[in-house]
Amino acid sequence: MPKLPGGELASRPLHFIWIADCSGSMGVDGKIQQLNFAIRDAVPHMQKVAEDNPNAAVLVRAIKFSNGAQWHIAQPTPVAEFKWLDLEAMGVTDMGMALSMLAEQLKIPPMSERALPPVLVLISDGRPTDDFQKGLSALLGEPWGRKAVRLAIAIGEDADYEVLQRFIGHPELKPLQANSPEALVRHIRWVSTAVLKSASAPASQPREGGVSKLNVPIPAPPEPGPDVAEDVW
Amino acid sequence: MSAGLVLPLWRALGASRRGAAHVRSGLPNQDALLLPDLGSEPPWILALADGHGSPKSFRSDRGALLAVNTAAAVCRRLPCDPAGARLSAIKHWAEDYLSREIVRCWRTAVDEDMAARPLVAAEGAPSGLASPEGGHYLAYGATLLVVMVTATFILYWQLGDGDILTVTDDGVVSRPLPPDEKLFGNETTSLCADRSWQEARTAFQVLAGAPPALILAASDGYANSYRDEAGFLRVGSDLLTLIRTDGLEAVAANLSDWLDEISRQGSGDDVTLGVLCRTTTNPARLGRWG
Repeated sequence: MPKLPGGELASRPLHFIWIADCSGSMGVDGKIQQLNFAIRDAVPHMQKVAEDNPNAAVLVRAIKFSNGAQWHIAQPTPVAEFKWLDLEAMGVTDMGMALSMLAEQLKIPPMSERALPPVLVLISDGRPTDDFQKGLSALLGEPWGRKAVRLAIAIGEDADYEVLQRFIGHPELKPLQANSPEALVRHIRWVSTAVLKSASAPASQPREGGVSKLNVPIPAPPEPGPDVAEDVW
Repeated sequence: MSAGLVLPLWRALGASRRGAAHVRSGLPNQDALLLPDLGSEPPWILALADGHGSPKSFRSDRGALLAVNTAAAVCRRLPCDPAGARLSAIKHWAEDYLSREIVRCWRTAVDEDMAARPLVAAEGAPSGLASPEGGHYLAYGATLLVVMVTATFILYWQLGDGDILTVTDDGVVSRPLPPDEKLFGNETTSLCADRSWQEARTAFQVLAGAPPALILAASDGYANSYRDEAGFLRVGSDLLTLIRTDGLEAVAANLSDWLDEISRQGSGDDVTLGVLCRTTTNPARLGRWG
């Protein structure tokens, strides 16, 4: 075949970002250990989903927040090379700062206009101790912040469900409640596979009445089985 | 739809190919392409549509086909005989009437198609299809690009994502239509949205001075397959060079394979390209296809 017209071809980048609460309360009842286990357990499943969708280049990273916020895995890492690094719990819940730092990375550049909508997964067991609204406004001030698939997992009954719902920003999507290690594994697996698969090949979405709606169809979350574990958190 | 060739003054070629991701998932090609009949009287109309393909737009392949046929039918009503209408009046017609009429006729075509082909359970129509959100038009949702060429002017028209490019004799590539900031991520304006005619973009080019040597219309799966904008724009200048060196027939013969490979290495989406080539360019530069 003769040389193809045009410049370099490339699959479309799909940024998947964990936003993890590492406050002191995450150290109670083994929550942080279970979160580390659940994400590490999900990685091979993410890799399989990515293999099945070669037209999306899945790039994974993570940001953590407690006393302030920092990138835990700063480099957007091809999922095939991604390795989870354990988090540790200590300090308060500076969720707003994490969202502000995230907003910086969703600017264009460094993001590309031709990327697929990023997937942002916020995991928390408590209430923000800083200015959450400031961070959320910064995030939603970026085009890719607004267009991102924003999901949240509430660990335990002390999680601020209302704050997580504001992060999601779509009334038809609710935070996933994880009151047991089994539920946390199930929710992490779902966002890592079903949601990732949906985000890897999204169909075009018409703007309805000039209003932007969910631009990636989100599959229904898994129902807990009959052997559902007792709530421990 | 397969690659094709038609004659003269302007030549046309194009192809529409099912995307690599659609092949994997069992979805059909949801793009549609209509090449002009250049053997007939002008206007010559190139129309390209891209069905949304989401579960809610489960008939968008039909919506795309209806869109290209509707566009051609509406554009043929244009009073394009320069003896019969002033260019300013035609421009006014295009800007004030064309968008409303294309959308209105597409909706009528959808209504007729729904009446002729009632929904069946196997289509997996989501509940609430007839909701006020978008009604049954959402099931057929598509974007549409139109290039209309006459002896005296070219009209470019677009509603939703996709790309129209022009290439000068010297290989300079540009976009005749202004950008639309609402087209971001995988979100697009659409024929199926309420008052969608207001979202159409139109440009009118009088054929004087230096008309384009090449006009390209492509579905968004094409541009999304390149690492950057510059790489996609190079398609225009590269195609002009290939047509001049290898001939139009050779390019047409390779086009389907190229589009398959571009989708495979790139976006995975359906990829459709329609091309109009002006043959009255500088005779010294016609190459094998003059």
